[in-house]
Amino acid sequence: MNDSLVDIRAKELVMHLVGVVGLVLLLLMSGCAGLGTPPSNAPSQSSPPQAGVEAVASVVPQLPLPSAPPPTVAAHAGIAVVEPAAGSDALSTAAPIGQTAGTTTPPLARAPGKIDASRAPAAQPSKRESIPPDIAKPKAPPLDLASLEQRLKDTKAIGVLTKITLKNQVDDLLNQFRAFYQGKLKTDLANLRRSYDLLVLKVLSLLQDSDQALATAIAASREAIWGILSDPAKFATI
Amino acid sequence: MRTPTTARAIAILTAISFVAPSLAADDESTRKDLFTVITLHGLPCGEVVSVTTRAENDHIASCKDGSRYHVFLNAEGRVVVEKQ
Repeated sequence: MNDSLVDIRAKELVMHLVGVVGLVLLLLMSGCAGLGTPPSNAPSQSSPPQAGVEAVASVVPQLPLPSAPPPTVAAHAGIAVVEPAAGSDALSTAAPIGQTAGTTTPPLARAPGKIDASRAPAAQPSKRESIPPDIAKPKAPPLDLASLEQRLKDTKAIGVLTKITLKNQVDDLLNQFRAFYQGKLKTDLANLRRSYDLLVLKVLSLLQDSDQALATAIAASREAIWGILSDPAKFATI
Repeated sequence: MRTPTTARAIAILTAISFVAPSLAADDESTRKDLFTVITLHGLPCGEVVSVTTRAENDHIASCKDGSRYHVFLNAEGRVVVEKQ
């Protein structure tokens, strides 16, 4: 009897121990899981990981890094067409890389090394900067004239008579452009641009309070539309 | 007898309470539309205070400063604003 009681107590003790060990393990695992998340955010936001990137870049593979910067440069080059501000940044970052590539073409192994040491911190911000331009990219080509026209027709922000008045004024402006390109109107593109800007401002001021999305779309398309109007060849296709 | 009459009165009042604001809103939007049209034509009008509708797209707008404008859509599809 005593033996069996001792056995049972021993088993109970073992079970308790197993439970406690299990709890401790669970706590440890949850602690590890909690520690695991911050590093994933840290490299993308804080600067210290750049040093880590530099170290890894300079120590491990020298070939992958030279191939890595060109895509960012290419991306910036594409953006440069869209936004001059971004373009100036792109040029300032792209030019040094191009120069280093041009001057140090023979020693391929050294060039990446130099880029790693001096340009890696600049390359990191460019990667970060590349995020907003990617968002900005869809803003650049929203020139869908048919869609804009339909949205203007459908919007409730402007009354019917106002819409017709605006359409009249758009038609008048288009007639002015037509006459200008036919040589019948003695004016210049600067004057036409002024009229165009004024008309766009009228439309935007009417829309901005009640249909901000459409106002934004029109504002984003402003230069693209002007690109069509100011080009006789493109204007002829309207 | 009294209950149905009260119910009818309540129903009518409810209907009026729903319709009246929508009419007022419609009137307000028309006034705003006419004010915008007058302004787009470069004519002075502090605020359109009253509108007399003659036909569809044919209104007489009275402005706060006392000026009156005939705003209408002509046969060519142009909105015309004539000072009266």
